[in-house]
Amino acid sequence: MDTLTELLGGFAAAMTWQNLIFAFLGCLLGTIIGVLPGVGPVAGVALLIPLTLNLDPTGSIIMLCAIFYGTQYGGTITSVLLNTPGEASSAITTIDGYAMTKLGRAGAALTLAAVGSFVGGTIATIGLVAAAKPLGELGLLVGPPEFFALMVVGISLLVALAGKSMVKALISGALGLLISMVGIDPVAGAPRFTFGMDRLLDGVSFVAVIVGVFGLSEILSYRKNAETPLVHAPGMRSLLPTRAEWRRSAPAMARGTGVGFGLGLIPGMTGSVSSLLSYAAEKKFSRFRHQLGKGAVEGVAGPETANNAHANAALIPLFTLGIPASPTIAVLMGAFLQQGLTPGPSLFTEHSDIAWAIIASLFIGNLLLLLLNVPLVGLWTSILRVPTPILTALILLFMVIGAYTINFSVFDVFVMIGFGLLGLALRNLDIPLAPMVLTLVLGPLMERSLRESLEISQGDFSVFVNRPISAVLIGLGVLIICSPLLKFRKPKALTEDPEA
Amino acid sequence: MESVVTKPRSTSRVAPSVLTGIGAFTAVGVYVLVSSVGLGLWTSLGPGPGLFPFAMGGVLVAMSALWLVQELRRPSERSEGIDRGVVIAVGVSLVVLASVMDLLGFQLSMFLFLLYHLKLRGGRTWVSSLIIALAGSVGAFYAFNYGLNVALPVSAFAPLNLIGL
Repeated sequence: MDTLTELLGGFAAAMTWQNLIFAFLGCLLGTIIGVLPGVGPVAGVALLIPLTLNLDPTGSIIMLCAIFYGTQYGGTITSVLLNTPGEASSAITTIDGYAMTKLGRAGAALTLAAVGSFVGGTIATIGLVAAAKPLGELGLLVGPPEFFALMVVGISLLVALAGKSMVKALISGALGLLISMVGIDPVAGAPRFTFGMDRLLDGVSFVAVIVGVFGLSEILSYRKNAETPLVHAPGMRSLLPTRAEWRRSAPAMARGTGVGFGLGLIPGMTGSVSSLLSYAAEKKFSRFRHQLGKGAVEGVAGPETANNAHANAALIPLFTLGIPASPTIAVLMGAFLQQGLTPGPSLFTEHSDIAWAIIASLFIGNLLLLLLNVPLVGLWTSILRVPTPILTALILLFMVIGAYTINFSVFDVFVMIGFGLLGLALRNLDIPLAPMVLTLVLGPLMERSLRESLEISQGDFSVFVNRPISAVLIGLGVLIICSPLLKFRKPKALTEDPEA
Repeated sequence: MESVVTKPRSTSRVAPSVLTGIGAFTAVGVYVLVSSVGLGLWTSLGPGPGLFPFAMGGVLVAMSALWLVQELRRPSERSEGIDRGVVIAVGVSLVVLASVMDLLGFQLSMFLFLLYHLKLRGGRTWVSSLIIALAGSVGAFYAFNYGLNVALPVSAFAPLNLIGL
C-alpha cells in the first residue's frame, strides 16, 4: 500500500465521530493547560492520561496528541494579552505580542499566531507523512546495538542541551534511569531496589512520577498572594489582521516553519529554542526588523509558527525510530507503551492502521485548534480570571485522581507526593528536570537493548564499535558528552532556554 | 511557570542546600553501587541485573564529586528559596488525604480536602467553597465512575458505604 492510500485510511479512522470527539476534547483541554501558567505540557499530558485509560488505543493517543499540540496554541494567549507566557515556548512572543496589545492589535496578533501555528503544524505533519515510510523501513534494519547507540545519542543531546550545567543534567539523567530500574529486572527476573515492598515489584508508576516531579513541584513552589490577573479579551471585530499584516507575516511564517521543523527533529531541542531562534531569524532577515520589540507582526508570527512546527516535527523521531525528542514526547511515548503500542518502526508494521489514524488526526487537530482558538478567545481569557486558590485546588484534585487511577491504589498518590518533593528540591538546586523524564521512559528500553547486544556478542563490548552505524552513533554520543571539555560554546538560545 | 527574568542573588560561599543536595546524591549513588554488586554484575549468560544500576550509581557519585569541586571553586547563585507554608500546607493535606481516602471514600475525603484549600487556605466564601468542593468530590466521582468507567474508591465504613459514599 502506498503512503497516500494509508493516509486516506487513517483519515477514515480519525473521522469517526468518537475519534473526532476525542480530538476535540484533547484540543480543548490542551488549550486550557496552555492558557494556565503553572501547568506545563509535560505535567498536563501526564495528568490527563487517566482520562484515556479506558479508551481504545487510537482514541487515547489521538486525545493525548491533541492535548500536546493544544498546549502550544494556548500558551500564546497569555503571552499576547498578559505579557505572561502560558508555556515556556511562547515566552519570546510576549515581546511583540504584548506590544501589539498595547497598540490595540491584540486580536490581530492572536489570529496571526493561530494561523502561523496551523501552518507550521500542518507542514510539519506533512513532513511526518513523507518521512514515516522511508525512516520506518530504515529503522527496521536497526538491531539492539544500533538501538542502544541511538538512545545514547538522544539522551546525550538532551543532557548536553539541558540547563546550564552538564554535571547537573547528568545527575538528573542518572536519577531517571535509576527510578526506571525499580522493580523486577526484565532479563533475570530479580527484584531491584524494591525495599521488600511488593507494590514496587512492577516498578514505580510513570504517571505518578511525572505528575509529582513536573506538576506538584510547580504548585509547591507557588508563592503566596499570587494575584488574579486583569485581562480583557479582544472583540470579534478586531480579530481580523489587515492586508499589510498578512503580507508581512507570510515570510515570517515560512522562516518559522523551517527553523521549527529542522530543530524539532533533533532530540534535546525544545520548542523554546525554536521560537528564540525564529525571533533571531526575524531580527536578521525581516524587512521590518527595526520594528521588532515595538509590536511587529513578524515577532509573533515567526516564533509561534516555529514552536508548532517544532512540536509536530518532534513526533517524527518518535513515530519512525521510537526516540522521544523532548520531555512531553517522552510522556506521550509512555502513554503509547501503556496502551501496548511501541513507537518506532514496528508501529507501522504491527499497528499500521492506528499509526496512520493518529497521523491523520494531527491534521484534523490543527484545523480544530485554528477554528477553536481565535473565536473562543473570550472563553480562554475567562479561565485566567479564576482565582488562584480555586485553580490550585482543582489541579490538585486532578493530580490525585491521575495518580490514583493508574493502579487504583493510594500508594501511587504517596509516590506522587514523594516525587513532588523531590521535584521541588531539584528545582531549588537548579537541576534540570527534562533529562530525568527522558531517561525514565527510555531506561528500560535502553537497558534491554544493552543486555541483548551483550548477549549477542557473548559479553564482548566491542559489538558497539564493530558495527558501523552503532560505532558512528556511539562516537557522536561521546563527542556530545565531552563537548564541555572541548570548550564548545553553547549558543545563547540554549543557555537561556526556560524549558531546559 | 518558571521565571525567566528574575536574577538570583550571588554568593561567595557554598549554600547549605547545595551541600545537602550533593551529600544526598552521593549517598544514593553509594547505596546503588553497593546494592548493584549484591544483585550481580555479570552472570554466565552475560550482563547481570546489577550492571546497569552499577554504572548509574557510578555516574551519580562521580557527578556529585564534580559538582562539589565546581561549587568549591565557584559557588553557584542562590535560588529564591521556597515558601515553607505552601509546602507544608499542600504536602501535609495531600498525605492526610491519601491516608484516609480508602477509609472514608473518595467523595468525603476529597470534599474535606477541597474545602480546606478553598475556605481555610484560599479564603473563598462558604457558598463558592461548598459548591466547588461538592462538584470536585461528588461530581468527579460520578463523572469518572459512570462517564469514564474509572472506579474511584468508596468508603470502607459500612454506614458511609450504605449512603453511597
